[in-house]
Amino acid sequence: MTTNKIEIRDLTVNYIDNKRSFNALHDVSFGVGRGEFVSVIGASGCGKSTLLSVLEGLYAPAGGSVQIDGKELHGTGTERGVVFQHYSLFPWMTTKKNIEFGIKQTRHGLRRSERAKIADEFLAKVGLADSGSKYPSQLSGGMQQRAAIARALAMNTEILLMDEPFSAIDPKNRVILQELLLSLWEGDGSEERKTVVFVTHDIDEAILLSDKIVVLTAHPGTVNEVVNVPFERPRSRSELVKTDEYGRFRNRLLSLLNTDVAERIGGDEVVL
Amino acid sequence: MTLKKRYLRVVHLLFIALLLIQLLPDKSTKEVFTGSLVLFAVAAEVIVLAASSFIKKEESLKLIADIAGFIFVVLGIWSLATAKFNILNDLLFPAPGKVLHQFAEDREKIFVNIESSLGTTIKGFLLAVVVAVPLGLFIGWSARIGSAATYITKFFSSIPPIVYIPYGIALLPTFKSVSVFVIFLATFWPVFAGTMSGVLGVDKKIIDSAKVLNVSKPEMLFRVILPASLQQIFLGCNQGLSVSFILLTSAEMIGARDGMGYYVKYYSDFGDYTRTITGLLVIGIVVIAVTFLFNKLQSHLLRWKR
Repeated sequence: MTTNKIEIRDLTVNYIDNKRSFNALHDVSFGVGRGEFVSVIGASGCGKSTLLSVLEGLYAPAGGSVQIDGKELHGTGTERGVVFQHYSLFPWMTTKKNIEFGIKQTRHGLRRSERAKIADEFLAKVGLADSGSKYPSQLSGGMQQRAAIARALAMNTEILLMDEPFSAIDPKNRVILQELLLSLWEGDGSEERKTVVFVTHDIDEAILLSDKIVVLTAHPGTVNEVVNVPFERPRSRSELVKTDEYGRFRNRLLSLLNTDVAERIGGDEVVL
Repeated sequence: MTLKKRYLRVVHLLFIALLLIQLLPDKSTKEVFTGSLVLFAVAAEVIVLAASSFIKKEESLKLIADIAGFIFVVLGIWSLATAKFNILNDLLFPAPGKVLHQFAEDREKIFVNIESSLGTTIKGFLLAVVVAVPLGLFIGWSARIGSAATYITKFFSSIPPIVYIPYGIALLPTFKSVSVFVIFLATFWPVFAGTMSGVLGVDKKIIDSAKVLNVSKPEMLFRVILPASLQQIFLGCNQGLSVSFILLTSAEMIGARDGMGYYVKYYSDFGDYTRTITGLLVIGIVVIAVTFLFNKLQSHLLRWKR
């Protein structure tokens, strides 16, 4: 019996494009433990976002299975909160209303005033206490993603799915947001951590945040390797990058990422 | 600040010029009601003065000053061409004071007619919006193909609604209901088409965001798809509204017993061109007022757009 929160077995996904079907993911298998932070990395086109849309319930696989708590996944569900790269928030609702709307979808039986209170609390946690009455168009990209994270957390789902949430953010703010997500997710130990599947193409982001990294190889997307991240928590970026171990680990990931590239260009190994 | 002051000074000068023009001797053989004109000009000037001390926003103040200045110029030229020098035929071109006087005299009759016209328009328009928006949302969303619906809509909306009037007269019991029916048709198709194209154009990312929040079907339609297509819906509504006024006044001139179109037609049949011009101006003012309020509503509901 499996004890994993999310169990992905032999997942195959076909995309139909111009009446031609092509294989986006082929026989992908891995598990995500309860309270585990797992990143999926890979070059663009390797199907990592496709994998996440299957987990979100937006795209049906051609074969294999995805189980959550041992139950087969069917469509979208309220046990999963999602942060996209763009448009997670509805532009016609204020930031606070967006969060309240999210809370209403997953936490039933709360009064309006209770929802408002929770929304304020999470806005404060992401540093947007003063921006609740603003519309998303009045916020910067980084602030919008803060609000999207606030909503996903306020919805209090067991699972968080994040699809390149920081890749459209400028480098400086990206680092700040990574730290914010890390500290919110690690918490103070009083609450159980959420199970997270995080898609990214940024190696450093993946190392900083994850317990485990799934490296995908493209055409079709397959799991090259699942790597455990050997660094203790709580983590801090500044401490982490100083160690030699970090550099070695990063290089190992890079070579894993570039395996298929190396094969295609006929070299042995590509190390940047 | 100085610019604003100078701006207002020009308006005040135009006002004074208008008053000075009124001191010239009348040449028209008919009564010209200079008193009514002066009264109106003073009222306009008072509004400008009040605005300049109460309204802080430079833009609004400039707008009011511009409009008042335009009115003073038009009234001045109009006075000169009619009452003062009698260049224009005074049977066909009444003096401005006379039109203003006529408006004051006929105000009750005019208000009854405005009420009737607006009532008909609002009935037809609202009925069309209330039917077309949910229908457009529903068909646009559940089909999500919509191309057949789009062509069918194009066919119906290409028929100028005015040609329905004779058939409407045969079908419906009262002329009022014919007007409502024609305005309904004129508004229904653009709003329906606008709603559908709005729904079909909603960003897939927004729909995905809603899906992962597990929204119910009614929530998807009215809290996600509806606001996301609102701009297109308003595009259709604006089109419907402007056609509605054209149709309404045309219809009223064909066979109604009240309404502003009827007022204009009735008195021009008698050769009472003072009332004809009064009616024309009133229609212009009413249409502008309605459009203005509607645009206010639109920018309020779409305030979240950049």
